[in-house]
Amino acid sequence: MVKVDNLVKNYGDFHLNISMEIPDGTVTGIVGKNGAGKSTTIKAILGLIKPDGGHVTINGKETSKLTGAEKASLGVALSDSGFSSYLYVKDIICILRKMYKTFDEEFFRNRCISQGLPFDKKIKDFSTGMRAKLRVLVALSHKADLLIMDEPTAGLDIEARNDILDMLRQYLSENDDRSILLTSHISSDLESLCDNIYLIHDGRIILHEDTDIILSDYAILKVNEETYEVLDKSHILSTKKENFGYACFTSEKQFYVDNYPGIVIENGKIDDLILMMTGGK
Amino acid sequence: MLGLIEKDIRLTLARKQTLLIFLVLALVMGLSMDGSFVIGYLTMLATIVAVGTISYDEFDNGFAFLMTLPFDRKTYVKEKYLFSFLSAAGAWCFGVVLYCLGSAIRHQTVMFADELPILLALLPVLFLLATVMIPLQLKYGSEKSRIVLFIIFGIIAVLIYGINKIFDGSDIMSGAVKTLDGISPIVVLVSIVAVCLLFTCASYLCSVRIMDKKEI
Repeated sequence: MVKVDNLVKNYGDFHLNISMEIPDGTVTGIVGKNGAGKSTTIKAILGLIKPDGGHVTINGKETSKLTGAEKASLGVALSDSGFSSYLYVKDIICILRKMYKTFDEEFFRNRCISQGLPFDKKIKDFSTGMRAKLRVLVALSHKADLLIMDEPTAGLDIEARNDILDMLRQYLSENDDRSILLTSHISSDLESLCDNIYLIHDGRIILHEDTDIILSDYAILKVNEETYEVLDKSHILSTKKENFGYACFTSEKQFYVDNYPGIVIENGKIDDLILMMTGGK
Repeated sequence: MLGLIEKDIRLTLARKQTLLIFLVLALVMGLSMDGSFVIGYLTMLATIVAVGTISYDEFDNGFAFLMTLPFDRKTYVKEKYLFSFLSAAGAWCFGVVLYCLGSAIRHQTVMFADELPILLALLPVLFLLATVMIPLQLKYGSEKSRIVLFIIFGIIAVLIYGINKIFDGSDIMSGAVKTLDGISPIVVLVSIVAVCLLFTCASYLCSVRIMDKKEI
């Protein structure tokens, strides 16, 4: 289990202050706008930066004090970092073989072949999609208990994204205790994969909810000025002025379905959640 | 540790063309030039190339991913010193072979008993270059560390020049030279190794501290 307890990190004007938990056997997504603090959170969980306050633990141990053996149970894919681009896939196989006792070479080789990743081409000559697939495959190659992925599908076309999501689904299906923590800008990826979502804004968690509940109970109400005046706003989380009147974001869709049958109600999606919770009034 | 060494070997081999040029130069020097210059040349070059793997690790924000792999920061530092030393030692051995070959071609006798202490002393002394470069590169990155290195060597050169100027022709200098001449080469070698070991330990502790504080 990953526990982030009152993590504080300050960079000039930016202040991160969050707490979160990723229990075993769950897929947790972190969403938010650029600069909200997603990558800083991931870096703190990985022990790459030193918190100014609070604690980050993996299975009860501070991440900055994890031993090599303990780090072997993590599979990591970062959006902007990986093995040196001067290496070949065949080099990476030799390195991983020596790095991880549990490295599954057959799985890695087969997946590289099926994903069209050549063994004898330098990584710097790979396309964006090929690099992303390689990063994910490296993370999956040693039977890690926890995957930590920062934007694993960023900048990829739909086919490459689906390939990566399929790999992650298969990884999860092999063992119920496996967990994934991932950040993504692409809401459909998160909707189809995550059990729960944390929304970070300006360095703070402003919402934590099960994905199923977001998709079933959250909604956008589209109302004109008159209806807005009489609308019961006790379940409205955020409101945004629009041309037609107001868009109101609620976590109690059924309440408005039952009590305001005439208004337009659109099912909530993670994109709406980000837009309304971080940009509304 | 083995995985890191494997990575560094493969990163070094990725610079095949550069290595080949160095090798050809060394072969030409070893077979054509008198003296043991080729040993020092190869040892120094290998040390610089080995320490240069840090800049490959840093390149393209690679440090972030590297530090998520199954080793701690101290192990990373340890491996850099070990890899640099192994590279320097390998190059030293190769240099000795070239030196012997060159001497044989020129029908010169190599007086190993006389020369070995000096040749052996080359290895720890040239490895000092790594002990200066590793902490600098970890602290300042490959670009800035080069500038800092130039400044350090500049200061050393000025100090040596200054000391030379002050004591030139004085009794102290000639006395010191006489005293040093009188010491057995083995004692000198052991002293050099001891000083270099101390310097390496101090450098390693500095590097560990730098890595511990490093935000990636």
